[in-house]
Amino acid sequence: MYDFNYHRPSSLDEAVTLLGQGEDVKVLAGGHTLLPTMKQRLAAPSDVVDLSRIAALKGIEATEGAVRIGAATSHADVAASGEVRNRIPALAALAARIGDPHVRNRGTLGGSIANNDPNADYPAACLALGATIVTTKREIAADDFFVDMFETALDEDEIVTRVDFPVPRRAGYAKFPNPASRYALVGVFVAEGGDGIRAAVTGAGPCVFRVPEMEAALGHDFSPAALEGIKVDAGGLNADIHASADYRAHLVGVMARRAVEAALEGR
Amino acid sequence: MNERPTPSAHKGAVHRPVIHDSAERHVTGSALYVDDMPELPGTLHIHVGMSERAHARLRAIDLQSVRTAPGVVAVLTAGDIPGVNDVSPVHAGDDPIFAEDIVEYAGQPIFAVAAETLQAARNAARLARIDYEELPAIITLDEALAAATDLAPAPELRLGDPDAAISASPHRLSGTLHVGGQDHFYLEGQVAYAIPGEGADMLVHASTQHPSEVQHLVGCMLGVPDHAVTVEVRRMGGGFGGKESQPALIAAIAALAARRTGRPAKLRLDRDDDMVMTGKRHDFRLDYELGYDADGRIQGARFEFAARCGRSLDLSNAIADRAMFHADNAYALPNAYVHARRMKTHTVSNTAFRGFGGPQGMMAIERAIDEIAFALGRDPLEVRRANVYPADGSALTPYHMAVTDSVLDELTEELAASSDYRTRRAAIRASNAESTAIKRGIALTPVKFGISFTTTHLNQAGALVHVYKDGSVHLNHGGTEMGQGLFVKVGQVVAEAFGIELDQVKITATTTAKVPNTSATAASAGSDLNGMAAAAAAQTIKARLAAFAAKKHNIAEEHVVFEAGRVRIGNQEMSFAELAHQAWMGRVSLSSTGFYATPDIHYDRATGRGRPFYYFAYGAAVSEVAIDTLTGETRLLRVDILHDAGRSLNPAIDMGQIEGGFIQGLGWLTSEELWWNDEGRLRTHAPSTYKIPTANDRPDDMRIAIWAKGENREPTIHRSKAVGEPPLMLAISAFSAITDAACAATGYRAFPRLDAPATPERILMAIREATGRAGKK
Repeated sequence: MYDFNYHRPSSLDEAVTLLGQGEDVKVLAGGHTLLPTMKQRLAAPSDVVDLSRIAALKGIEATEGAVRIGAATSHADVAASGEVRNRIPALAALAARIGDPHVRNRGTLGGSIANNDPNADYPAACLALGATIVTTKREIAADDFFVDMFETALDEDEIVTRVDFPVPRRAGYAKFPNPASRYALVGVFVAEGGDGIRAAVTGAGPCVFRVPEMEAALGHDFSPAALEGIKVDAGGLNADIHASADYRAHLVGVMARRAVEAALEGR
Repeated sequence: MNERPTPSAHKGAVHRPVIHDSAERHVTGSALYVDDMPELPGTLHIHVGMSERAHARLRAIDLQSVRTAPGVVAVLTAGDIPGVNDVSPVHAGDDPIFAEDIVEYAGQPIFAVAAETLQAARNAARLARIDYEELPAIITLDEALAAATDLAPAPELRLGDPDAAISASPHRLSGTLHVGGQDHFYLEGQVAYAIPGEGADMLVHASTQHPSEVQHLVGCMLGVPDHAVTVEVRRMGGGFGGKESQPALIAAIAALAARRTGRPAKLRLDRDDDMVMTGKRHDFRLDYELGYDADGRIQGARFEFAARCGRSLDLSNAIADRAMFHADNAYALPNAYVHARRMKTHTVSNTAFRGFGGPQGMMAIERAIDEIAFALGRDPLEVRRANVYPADGSALTPYHMAVTDSVLDELTEELAASSDYRTRRAAIRASNAESTAIKRGIALTPVKFGISFTTTHLNQAGALVHVYKDGSVHLNHGGTEMGQGLFVKVGQVVAEAFGIELDQVKITATTTAKVPNTSATAASAGSDLNGMAAAAAAQTIKARLAAFAAKKHNIAEEHVVFEAGRVRIGNQEMSFAELAHQAWMGRVSLSSTGFYATPDIHYDRATGRGRPFYYFAYGAAVSEVAIDTLTGETRLLRVDILHDAGRSLNPAIDMGQIEGGFIQGLGWLTSEELWWNDEGRLRTHAPSTYKIPTANDRPDDMRIAIWAKGENREPTIHRSKAVGEPPLMLAISAFSAITDAACAATGYRAFPRLDAPATPERILMAIREATGRAGKK
């Protein structure tokens, strides 16, 4: 490691102030992406602001029609939460299958979506459930939040404080985990909520995306069979050491059907 | 008078399931590995600067900022080497420690930094400025074949007239199979700790399967005789062949730093650097052409193999030779031609890995037999059984060696019965007709594996045994312990010889100072060779003790019997310790070396004829798999293994070797995928991208048995058989079962041409391709 300034503020205000000071300030949540990145010198911030001691960022709260999850809540806590399991079981199931126990106990919801890794699970849930991302400055609809690979609508001095997930009528998530890392090679989250059906795909492309043809088909008939024959174009999809674009396109169809099955079974 | 231990309490006896001597230390973390040894004051830590290019001329190496970085004590390049800049295990002169003018793989060492801390060494190494003039790089095997980059001429094996036999056969088939490489993924990475002594002396603690070679190559590098260098290893955290030739580089760099600075120096590679810098299992292209009759009996076969050797020769000649020796696997081919080219690529130089080319060589014929069975509409097991080497010794291998110890017919039938193979196969085919997404497959494949180094002179071993005057025994031999249980087995042999308890035998670290000129602990031959050498040493001392006791008590030597910690001398009796003490008082030498050279083996590489193997190890496995035809994912549902370990020296250890070997083979054939990009950089160099099997991948239903009838026909140590490598190839049954399930996905209408590793994507693509062919029919 090289020298950098480490800050561990106890309030959000203090954290935001710190973000405005220093040449290259990075927010540290669970650290599962930032620390390896720093070790490999892919990032070399002058200052690191650790959010782990800010109580306001933690906790899960049920409101009328929604579940609000603090940005610093760990994946393990989401997976174990009675509120989440009762009201959005698909979200609890998603959290329970992120990475491995180390990742689930350290990694956080806010860290995951702010990083917007193309293979992360949470972006699919946010987009399909029509979540609202609440920050220190504003509220951002999930549709506007995820911009591109590792890129979000967040400003440099903006921190995600919580995510509000509307409770859907039904929802399901299915993923093909990379056998080695357990990242989503392809993950599809399907939800039926207040504004209809949404199907969001993570892992396959540079950034999470929706598949309108699938949403329309499921609007007529919410069943796996409704998705038969709907193909995602491999054109814009990722091809890398883990899989070809063709294979990913194929898996989108399979995972979407499995997500619908899970939704029908209430998993 | 005294209570005598019953034979059942006689823990030292061979053929008993004795716990690994270090098992408790392994699980409590108190077993010492090189990096656990207390460091001497002033110890330096080394980091290696590696090439960023696959093939380039080094225009300039600017290390000025590295030298002046904080904590740096020495920066080492080729120019600092007092002796020879080469660690080639075959003295080919093509394995420079540090690149001089040309780099030939991304990851090749160019320089090393020795610093007060590892972090200081790493930080400093990043400051190097290397000016590369890029040269065209050949990365893949097919590129190498197109450019004919053969590193060495390939010998041929020829039996009968294969071309005529194939032409005359009623049925023929040909095909190509690509088989991937494999990283060793030993838990303990490469490490060496060099401690300079007085004058030219150098002591190196190295994690190596081959201390004598490390000793010699470090000596060559330093420009000193072998006697100045001592290499010691108590144990490795796994070797698998990855520590046969590779540790010489690590030890040479550590020793060079120690020599240049006069301080102890340690080099321990981290996982990423280890995977990028050191050699792996060779990937192969296997082309085959066979002629067969209506019963599936093979009339003639041609095998044209090509191995990706990487940038240098290393052990590739012997590995490609062993691939050729196993092209027949378990099957008597009346007419055969085998050839294996050794291709140079600008990638890391590939090296030994459990099976040493044998596993790759076997894959072609196992694939071909599955294909024959498909073409004839028969059960592949019946085709296999129609072709296995007969027990009567009438069949010759393609290298003209009579197979006189074949138990294949009996062993495969016993396993087919005990695993209920035929009933289950019928049930699987019936249920596949009902299931759309999930298809199951089953396969029984045999293994015949030749035991001996095919380089005949390597089949020798030495041991050193001391009996102290309190009756305790010090055992040393040239073999190395890498978790496989060699030490406990040889300890049992010595305890058996003296008739004492195993805990009276101290098993000690391998060191070139005690037993010289040893061969690598490799080729599955560790127990065979070192067990015999240790038995010989013990026998010498025992004979002296018997002669002493016989003379003293005035009886014949044959009336001196060593048993259960006691010595019967005629009608008297005393403890082994008492006799040892008396013998010492009587001025009898209680120390001896022992030596063994495998008899009866010979091989002429030029003519491709001889008896390269002392005997064969046999085994067979049945795997049942399920594949998800929507994603290509597989699951191993059940495995039955019947393995011939001869009269097992230690069934507990052998069961571990069989299970571990199978699982490692399963990883090679299903999940472990090495991926180089177009620039020749390995992109899978950590467990996050390179998937080794874990406990979760072990089938819940795994039934392993050591064959009860097993007995070595040759007079090996207590009639046991080598067991280190052969079980790895039992995993070919899983690959065949996956092929069977993929075939089911086509409705058994086309044979899927699956390559290895059978990753989900590859399985899905093979099914698609086969389904496409079936549709055209």
